[in-house]
Amino acid sequence: MSTTTVSPPRRPSGRGVQITGGIALLVVLLLAWQFLPGLLNTPRYVIPPLTEVLAALVDPAALPRYLQNAAATMTEVGLGLLIGVALGLGLAVTLAQMPRVYGIVFPYIVAIESIPKVAVAPLFVIWFGFGLPSKVVVVVLLAFFPVLVNTIHGLRSVDRDQIDLFRVNGASPMQLRTRLLIPAALPQIFSGLELAVANAMIGAIVAEFVGAQHGLGVLILQAQGRMETPAVFALLIILSALGILLNLAVRLARRWVITWEPR
Amino acid sequence: MELRGLQKSYATRTGHVHALSAVDLSIRQGEFVAVVGPSGCGKTTMLKILAGLEEPTGGSASLGGHPVRTGSGDVGMVFQKATLLPWKDILANVLLPLSLRRRPTSADRTKAMDLLAMAGLAEFARKRPGELSGGMQQRAAICRALVHDPSLLLMDEPFGALDAMTRDTLNVEVNRIWRETGTTAVLITHSISEAVFLAERVIVMSPRPGRIVEEIIVPFDRERSLDLLGEPEFAALTSRIRSHFEVSHA
Ligand SMILES: Nc1ncnc2c1ncn2[C@@H]1O[C@H](COP(=O)(O)OP(=O)(O)OP(=O)(O)O)[C@@H](O)[C@H]1O
Ligand SMILES: [Mg+2]
Repeated sequence: MSTTTVSPPRRPSGRGVQITGGIALLVVLLLAWQFLPGLLNTPRYVIPPLTEVLAALVDPAALPRYLQNAAATMTEVGLGLLIGVALGLGLAVTLAQMPRVYGIVFPYIVAIESIPKVAVAPLFVIWFGFGLPSKVVVVVLLAFFPVLVNTIHGLRSVDRDQIDLFRVNGASPMQLRTRLLIPAALPQIFSGLELAVANAMIGAIVAEFVGAQHGLGVLILQAQGRMETPAVFALLIILSALGILLNLAVRLARRWVITWEPR
Repeated sequence: MELRGLQKSYATRTGHVHALSAVDLSIRQGEFVAVVGPSGCGKTTMLKILAGLEEPTGGSASLGGHPVRTGSGDVGMVFQKATLLPWKDILANVLLPLSLRRRPTSADRTKAMDLLAMAGLAEFARKRPGELSGGMQQRAAICRALVHDPSLLLMDEPFGALDAMTRDTLNVEVNRIWRETGTTAVLITHSISEAVFLAERVIVMSPRPGRIVEEIIVPFDRERSLDLLGEPEFAALTSRIRSHFEVSHA
């Protein structure tokens, strides 16, 4: 007598396929980075092989410098975000409840929004000097607008019947604001935050390029000046990692705050 | 409650939409009035004017001699959509009219839970609206309109999304609540039999711009049971209203 055990056909689940595929692609790309430049006879100062970049990244001699300057850049980003987001939220909530004023200032918002704001960075160096303030101001400017525009949009697209429900029940303007308009606009507010965070990194680096003593942007310029391409790549990796972390933080906060949103 | 020569037109990008023309209607305190009429004839508009949510562009709406204003009276309103707040659970949604006025007490919570039980939603008190079906959300919205014992209950097609059986059950409940609380009730509905079952008076409106084309007194007792639906008198009233409808459509 023989028993046969029927095991279910082993088919990787959809998610499993995605993860394996993702890792496979990463390996291929990293291998290509390591070996393709050599095979194509690309000069090392144009595209250094992966191992050289990694060596530059973990170089113990460079580490304190990386850390100090990353801290400088993130201070600019953090302060700028704090101020820019607070201003954007505050102004949006104020304007959303004053339709007339909103009508008057709206064209100005659109006009300023369409300026490529990083182009103003040199001006800020003239006004605020080479230190922290000029960088923070650029970050503020870049973080402010996406928060302002998205929040206003969110506040203005709240369902009419929901507003009527509050009015019928005699809600005060304050109750309307804190218990309906702002919670209802949270999804758009977080979309604005995601953009603000990405913009803030751009703003800080560009401001450092324009004139600064500290920051990852300064290190990139220095490495460029010495033609240390591996160091430039290493700094780009650090910057991307910081950007990804910030973005992740916002998205986690969104999940944590907006628990009613379908995932 | 008095509507005198009420007119309403909306200014839109493509010009004026004349929604209501010359509506005269007086509603006694404690009366149950149902409004039927073709889609777009201005029923919701009339209800919003009664609630003080829209200003009439002509004529007047007054309550006890004073012009209607929002928040001026105790109004319970059921909107055409459920209009629940997705970030609050069902219990908190039902308590909203109270929590905008004061901090809800445990008695308030008991009241809200009783209403939810009446609507068959007791186990869903702690769920978010997104976890409920459309009909369940609408039932929760009805509980919300009743939680603060309003003296005026305005309902805009509250049962449109419900199946016939749930609808019958809730109609019996609405009739009971209306009798027990003595609230004035205005019900907009597409269902002629629902109008006749619940109301003491049925207002028939013309297509846009809405006017009142007929008022039909429903001569039954205040207490209504589902047996009424089989009565010949009930059938006679509904067919009379229905014929009106067809005429006004032609
Ligand atoms: N806020 C508004 N702005 C412009 N036009 C409106 C507005 N609200 C309603 N209208 C118009 O007024 C008319 C009456 O609308 P209303 O919502 O009162 O109709 P209704 O009788 O409730 O219809 P339904 O039975 O389909 O709900 C419609 O033609 C509609 O387009
Ligand atoms: Mg309507």
